[in-house]
Amino acid sequence: MLRDITLGQYYQTDSVIHRLDPRVKLGGTLLFILSLFLFDHFTGYLVAVVFLGIVIRLSHVPFRFMVKGMKAILFLLILTVTFNLFLTPGTELVSFWRLRITWEGLAMAVTMAARLTILIIGSSVMTLTTTPNNLTDGMEKMMKPLKLLHVPVHEVAMMMSIALRFIPILLEETDKIMKAQLARGADFESGNIFKRAKAMVPLLVPLFVSAFHRANDLAMAMESRCYRGGEGRTKMKPLIYQRRDRLAYLCIFCYLAVSIILGRLVWLWI
Amino acid sequence: MEIVKTSDLVYEYIRRDEEGNVEGITTAVDKVNLDIRQGEFIAILGHNGSGKSTLAKHINAILSPTEGTVWVDGMDTSQEDKVWDIRQTAGMVFQNPDNQIIGQVVEEDVGFGPENMGIPTKEIWERVEESLRAVGMYEFRKYSPNKLSGGQKQRVSIAGVLAMHPKCIVLDEPTAMLDPSGRREVIRAVRGLNQVEGVTVILITHYMEEIIHADRVFVMDRGRIAMEGTPRQIFSQVERLKELRLDVPQVTLLAYELKKRGVELPDGILTEEELADALSVYC
Repeated sequence: MLRDITLGQYYQTDSVIHRLDPRVKLGGTLLFILSLFLFDHFTGYLVAVVFLGIVIRLSHVPFRFMVKGMKAILFLLILTVTFNLFLTPGTELVSFWRLRITWEGLAMAVTMAARLTILIIGSSVMTLTTTPNNLTDGMEKMMKPLKLLHVPVHEVAMMMSIALRFIPILLEETDKIMKAQLARGADFESGNIFKRAKAMVPLLVPLFVSAFHRANDLAMAMESRCYRGGEGRTKMKPLIYQRRDRLAYLCIFCYLAVSIILGRLVWLWI
Repeated sequence: MEIVKTSDLVYEYIRRDEEGNVEGITTAVDKVNLDIRQGEFIAILGHNGSGKSTLAKHINAILSPTEGTVWVDGMDTSQEDKVWDIRQTAGMVFQNPDNQIIGQVVEEDVGFGPENMGIPTKEIWERVEESLRAVGMYEFRKYSPNKLSGGQKQRVSIAGVLAMHPKCIVLDEPTAMLDPSGRREVIRAVRGLNQVEGVTVILITHYMEEIIHADRVFVMDRGRIAMEGTPRQIFSQVERLKELRLDVPQVTLLAYELKKRGVELPDGILTEEELADALSVYC
């Protein structure tokens, strides 16, 4: 049923990671991704994998949900690996026909694959453990300094959360309109792509009209409930750092220090 | 003291063509005088296009009068600096429950009004709990609004207004999109607010059954107030109601027809029990 769709890929369960402040998770993910691009030795990735493994265990989210995210980038992954494997100059490892695989190419391909895989799994940990709503709240608070540059941070966050609330409603409406048009003999399935795109017009027009009506109603309802932008607004669920959030920050920085020392600095000295 | 008062209120919708020239003027509200006292349960009745929704939007300062004045708790709605105070005093519930719920969780939606008013976090939670209990939706506080029935959604909307602690709630056809059981739920919640919390209620509707419990009823037609009185006074004028294209409840109609055929019955019977009692004399 359309009503039950979940947006994003939030996995409902209770864990330390779920309860963390969204800002910690956002910031942590960003630092984690950044760290992956700083290593130039394998040990760095090893540390990253171990760290990620611990986080996944703590999150109580089954591993297969993380792998799901990989499907989307499988093609990109294969492409990157192939290009790196065959096109990196250096000491020759094997060669056949006109293709050469070099030691450097092999190392590069493996590094890139590891980097991408860890990156995707790492960021899906964040989206699996944070509700879209929480994520919006976290972003709003983190981006607050941008207000000085006249970026409408609050407005963007409000738009995002309204969009999230209305997507299921509009989906349901699409379904309703589609059925109504089908009942009157509309054909959405046959014909080539152009024909099918053309068949969508009688679906999209009423949908847009109704979306504008809804937007108008919603704006009126919001105004009648005294909404006047982010100025002077209090929060029902304010984001306040708890002890566990500070601890989480500490863990992230520890990871960052260890991984950079092992992944980069140590090998410079030796 | 009057909570809502209008004097000679006129509102005109101006239709313009593509170049912005005036094409025509529709007078939606025409010289309306109302005075509603604190704590009253008022029903405004009228068929589609009678101007009742336009009138409602004036009480919440969404529209401002073309001519005449509207006072809400002594504040003139055309004064721009008073708009937010007026909207806090007179809350508004709209027709479509889906289009007025902002939050993705019931409790967050109820907290939206108080958040906008700048109420401290702790008090928001108190208000949310109290409002949700008042409409009987407290058990659903963690639900997504998408999973509620129409009647439940509309009760959440009412709680959302109630959390702003208004003196007066204007409900603009809150039951028009609901099924009969949802309608009963909402009307029961509204009556509760009026009787238990003492909130002034202005209920706009075209369902005659819903006005039975009102203290006073105004019937609107073509922008004017055509009839005014207690539900009993209104229902005793069946012919006039029919002229105004309003459906009279079945019981009232039956009593009216019986009376016309010579059965002696009191005027303006509103409920089945009343009719049964009145008829029991003949058994």
